[in-house]
Amino acid sequence: MGGTRRDFLRSAAVAGTMAGAARGAPGEGPAPPGHHGVTPVHTIASNCEMCFWRCGILAEVENGKVVRIEGNPDHPLTKGRLCARGNAGIGLTYDPDRLKYPMLRTGARGEGKFRRVSWETALDYLAERLQEIKAKHGPEAVAFFPHGVASAFFRIVMEAYGTPNHAEPAFAQCRGPREVGYALTFGQGLGSPEPVDFDETRLIVLIGTHIGENVFTSQITQFAGALGRGAKLIVVDPRLSTAAAKADWWLPIRPGTDIALLLAWMNVLISDGAYDRDYIRRYATGFDRLARHVQGLTPEWAEPITEIPAAKIRATARAMAEAKPAVALHPGRHVTWYGDDSQRARAMAIVTALLGAWGRKGGIFLPTPISTGKIPTPPMPESERGRADGAGDKYPFASEEQGVTNGLIDATLTGQPYPIKGWIVYGQNVLESIPQREKTLQAIDKLDLLAVVDVLPVEQTLYADLVLPEATYLERYDMPHVVVTAKEPFLAVRFPAVKPMYESRPGWWIAKELAKRLGLKAYLPWETPEEHLEMLVKPLGVNPAALRARGAVKFPGRPYLENRRPEDGPLFPTPSGKIELYSTLAEEYGFDPLPRYTPVEDPPPGWFRLIYGRAPVHSFARSENNAILDGLMDENEVWVNDEAARALSLADGQMVVLENSDGVQTNAVRLRVTPGIRPDCAYMVHGFGHRSPKLHLAYGKGASDAGLMTRVKIDPMMGGTGMRVNFVRLLSGEEAG
Amino acid sequence: MARYAMVIDLKKCVACHACTVACNVEWNVPPGFARTKVASTGAIGKFPNVMESVFVSQCNHCDDPPCVKPCPTGATFQGTDGIVAVDKDLCIGCGFCVEACPYDARHIDPVTNKVDKCDFCSARLQRGELPACVETCTAHAKFFGDLEDRSSEVFRLVYDRGAKRLETDEVAVGPNVYYLGTEQQLELVAARFAPREPRMPKAGDWWSKVVKPLVFAAVGATFLGQAVAFFYQLWHGEEQFED
Repeated sequence: MGGTRRDFLRSAAVAGTMAGAARGAPGEGPAPPGHHGVTPVHTIASNCEMCFWRCGILAEVENGKVVRIEGNPDHPLTKGRLCARGNAGIGLTYDPDRLKYPMLRTGARGEGKFRRVSWETALDYLAERLQEIKAKHGPEAVAFFPHGVASAFFRIVMEAYGTPNHAEPAFAQCRGPREVGYALTFGQGLGSPEPVDFDETRLIVLIGTHIGENVFTSQITQFAGALGRGAKLIVVDPRLSTAAAKADWWLPIRPGTDIALLLAWMNVLISDGAYDRDYIRRYATGFDRLARHVQGLTPEWAEPITEIPAAKIRATARAMAEAKPAVALHPGRHVTWYGDDSQRARAMAIVTALLGAWGRKGGIFLPTPISTGKIPTPPMPESERGRADGAGDKYPFASEEQGVTNGLIDATLTGQPYPIKGWIVYGQNVLESIPQREKTLQAIDKLDLLAVVDVLPVEQTLYADLVLPEATYLERYDMPHVVVTAKEPFLAVRFPAVKPMYESRPGWWIAKELAKRLGLKAYLPWETPEEHLEMLVKPLGVNPAALRARGAVKFPGRPYLENRRPEDGPLFPTPSGKIELYSTLAEEYGFDPLPRYTPVEDPPPGWFRLIYGRAPVHSFARSENNAILDGLMDENEVWVNDEAARALSLADGQMVVLENSDGVQTNAVRLRVTPGIRPDCAYMVHGFGHRSPKLHLAYGKGASDAGLMTRVKIDPMMGGTGMRVNFVRLLSGEEAG
Repeated sequence: MARYAMVIDLKKCVACHACTVACNVEWNVPPGFARTKVASTGAIGKFPNVMESVFVSQCNHCDDPPCVKPCPTGATFQGTDGIVAVDKDLCIGCGFCVEACPYDARHIDPVTNKVDKCDFCSARLQRGELPACVETCTAHAKFFGDLEDRSSEVFRLVYDRGAKRLETDEVAVGPNVYYLGTEQQLELVAARFAPREPRMPKAGDWWSKVVKPLVFAAVGATFLGQAVAFFYQLWHGEEQFED
């Protein structure tokens, strides 16, 4: 175990022991019995999957059980730190509700009645159903919904099987618009982790991003480090988030009007002449058209739209101008809000460009590619019918790599452009992560096959024909984690700390077994994880054993424009080879080449716009059944402005039911009355209100925001589902029915 | 001799709760309890002129710890390094110290029925490691060290950067958790989380919480001791027992 922090106190402690009397100092008595210090503990370096940041961990194993997870000080990005969820990882592996055996459905869909079967039977069943569908409807009739790194091997099998239809919510329910908006402007998206240079910044701008409540370990470290150094902070959020409470400027914006604010910021930067002139002259095109576009869009124009005082808009724009180019305008992560999200991302990208902050210290830094080894496989089959989700076609800028989940659901429901008859859902929670749950359930009704690979009996498993129990991240090998969006790119590995419990199996094993049955063995041409890793890291000159011991290996990076080399490719891979302030590609496909503000509706009197976010102790709808985390937060609350609550005679702490415009009601949920939110919004943390009774801790606790999302606004550029378009009212006990 | 202390920078802390969970897992703290807690002052003001501060609390290992004196068995004691600890073998779970603590930093563990609280991770210190909460703190907002050591970071933060103790004129017991933060944060925290007067046990509490349980424990122990001796003899035979 490396690192100097572990030895930080050693000398002091030793000195103390020599001087200490038997009861002189508690720090010097015998270690208490328990999980530390009695039986030998061995430590495995791996990475976390309580969320998808994949922080470096050291799993401490005692008697074949992980007893404690600590951060791995050798991990290049997270350097030994772990968040609440990462620290609680054993609560997932030792969750008694885990899926334990392969199961075939015996009852009606949704009833949750199954019989236990062997892996042999389960995999034969899956392979036979897949071959049947292929024979009858073609391979494209199977849609794959992957999420998480373990599904990577399975995805290879599905592509080899012949379906181009795969989609994960990471795109159309999360980061998609941002990738599109930045790619149209700079020629490339951002990726994950976001390459925001908090370490060098002078000013941070967050738009809806609620760092602190939304936790990614290294991002927190860098963010807090910047604040500690005295970096300024602007937070645009209808709610006083943890970050907003630390801000130098909190802009409690009227929801849905961010583009107006961004246009007004551009107006100030340009009319003051305070943008980075040299940078724009050297690297950008379309400046004159942009300047004309925003000419009249002053802070005074934006004030009544955004409900942010013009003086504050001007002051924040000037603060950015002063700090440029070291302004870290965070691009956001979950950004599918209002249906014009790609355009909002474009506006954020343009502001970033005007500040000269792309590829510059303290702004957004650039990725450095790593070339891992290529594993020799036969070529993937090409589908003649193309994709069914609309990516690259109905939604021209949607990612074909990540797909459009809701596009696949639509195709399943309508049979257009062709019928979809089978779904394989892998580590994704389609009923919680994708809005319009009823529609998803109707689509499931049309399927001949629904197979779910998961760790926990979440609601969708109740509808599955076949359930396959996956090993948790502490019990399996996974595709190595290649991170190019770090200042020093790195590769990290996950190896099992302990054997899979029950009959759960790692994803790579499930994929290989299925491939064998489908005659696709050649696509996974390795026998063991060790062999797989060796094939990948050999060309990097990395010793696999050393890599496993440390958990990760890093490489030199070229994060700023001035470090770039020819082999990194063009600086701005856009059609013009420059930063496109005016997007010729958007224009070509019939979209606004410059972002435009489109008016948003206000909720009717007595109603609120439903907004949602995250809690630091939970990950999406994945962690609510974890006993350690449930002990800290077992339900969500709904936040409402104090004056709005008073007008409705609602009191802090009382239970209310939320009802949306389509009459959908939630479980009763506790009301949090606070001056820290706009009067037109109701806020809640996402992920609660679980509906699977097999999740004994989480079942029925709190309210589900996803359930209230009966309406969405589709982003026409990329198919994303704008989810902040639902209005709710609050019913006290007697009114709810 | 060491004088261990912690400094918490509220400007950097983003209330991620990693400290609480790392501690809970390290010490098997049952769900719903914590040795170190993350809280908020709540939003104060009128929209949109609102302020709020995060707050992190734990045992303060006070210079003059009010929890030590009322302990009827001597289970709660202060070491020469300043750490206030609980000898679990002596604790009878009477809860006097819980009442006495002006910072509400103690709780009765419902599983063991004994008092529990932060001990600055003494066992980890012994192994040369930092307290679990400090080691995991994602914001690097928690600092731990020896205030007697002039080269330590906590010394610098307390004596050069002026980290503050959370105490009042009425309750000044010398807490050894110090806070950094903006002026506004420290004011908000002082208003919301100021220490309360220690509550000391009354005569009646002694009968219900100490004497009675002790009498029962003594009777139980006598009985248990006899039972053990009986079975031991059955198993090993009289001769060996006499050795």
